[in-house]
Amino acid sequence: MKAKSNLQIKPLFLERMQKLLPDKKDFQAYLDVLKIPPVRSIRCNKLKISPSELRKKLEKKGWKIKQPWGDYLEIMSVENELEPGGLGRALEHQLGYYYVQELVSMLPVIALDPEPEETVLDLCASPGSKTTQLSSEMLGKGTIIANEVSMGRLKILASNLERCGATNVIITKKDGVALCCRIKKYLPELKFSKILVDAPCSGEGTLRSSPKTYKMWNIKTIQNLPKIQKNLILSALEILKPNGVLIYSTCTHAPEENEGVSDAVLQELGNRIRLERIKLPIKSREGIIRWGDKSYSKEVKKCARIYPHDDNTEGFFIARFRKIK
Amino acid sequence: MTSYIPLKILSKKEKEELATQLEKQFGIKNAEGIFLMRGQERIFLFQGSLTEKQIKELETAVPVERVGVYFGKNINGQIRLSIEGTQMLKNQITKNIFELDDKQIELWMKGQEILIETGKNDFLVMKYKDNFLGCGKASEKKITNFIPKNRRLREKNN
Repeated sequence: MKAKSNLQIKPLFLERMQKLLPDKKDFQAYLDVLKIPPVRSIRCNKLKISPSELRKKLEKKGWKIKQPWGDYLEIMSVENELEPGGLGRALEHQLGYYYVQELVSMLPVIALDPEPEETVLDLCASPGSKTTQLSSEMLGKGTIIANEVSMGRLKILASNLERCGATNVIITKKDGVALCCRIKKYLPELKFSKILVDAPCSGEGTLRSSPKTYKMWNIKTIQNLPKIQKNLILSALEILKPNGVLIYSTCTHAPEENEGVSDAVLQELGNRIRLERIKLPIKSREGIIRWGDKSYSKEVKKCARIYPHDDNTEGFFIARFRKIK
Repeated sequence: MTSYIPLKILSKKEKEELATQLEKQFGIKNAEGIFLMRGQERIFLFQGSLTEKQIKELETAVPVERVGVYFGKNINGQIRLSIEGTQMLKNQITKNIFELDDKQIELWMKGQEILIETGKNDFLVMKYKDNFLGCGKASEKKITNFIPKNRRLREKNN
């Protein structure tokens, strides 16, 4: 199959996706949607402007705006054609009134449901789309610690946080696991009520917006990442308050990185944590409990799989853990 | 490799001096939060719930790259507010405001100076309709632009 930009999907990737989507029509719908560019979506930065004011400003420019997710008025799609790069070049963007963000990328923060005054950790924060969303949802109150290990990505994070006026954020630079260990060891009183682990992943869900994924996809990456992902979650859980919530998310479909990791965490921590069902504003499918010769705990059915053809988005995976003790 | 410059949280006295200057220059009466500096000029504002003591403790445990948002620069005792600095305090700014028209906003957001005699020699808060755009420096015949490169409006295909 040839996808957009004449990039070829690797046969093993196709084979795996076919296993995940065994119904022929379903699989074809998935392949078809990959040929279509994703929706142009933005998120109103409520720290600077209300959704109604922003909508008015953008409509005055001649943009056709939709608010596709009911109560989430800050989430908007731009329905008319724009010049390439038009979303990022607008005055309203440069002034930080909105953030250009793919629709599914907004879901982890919706699932985390942060409240103002909470102390929140965003463990793998760059480029800052979810950190700025957290800050906006918390109305600039409470505190967010946004961590990033790479200096290059950290600069992008800082720039985005600044543009959005996120005054309740502190940026730290440390390997995610090491950061959690140091906080646990040296700051035992600092505990988080909510943690977001939007982990590095193989990115299978981003094919529509990021054609380089076609080239970069590699089964070895999928085999190597789960260890890193599991360690990030386990370390983060150590500094989560009892009854606190941790969202683990990836932009990939690979079960090894999703249900596999969630299951491994459940196995390791037993009754100290549980998975919870997630309420999302778009269609999601439950987590799978069998993949190849592996079978996972039935609990992982509570995770949410988002396929691009279900609601015209990119692909994603979300697990919501609650710490019991 | 650059060496780590520790954060400096403004003391009570330094904060009072900043408050006095903000009122004198822009009529701002109440800028709340923790003010910090890194280096000699750049001032940051943190309005989260962590206390000064907790921020210091955090810094001893992990490398802290940034606290809050870039608020402005202290240039020889004069404050030059950033875009965010003016937006955060927009309801309190009553003095030294320059209102751009439809033509001037294009130039300003592309990083160009405005050739105009304002009769002032101060930092002015630049405003277009209800949008606050940081500060410019008025001198005899122009207003100098400080919009950072990454916030400028780019020409198409640039």
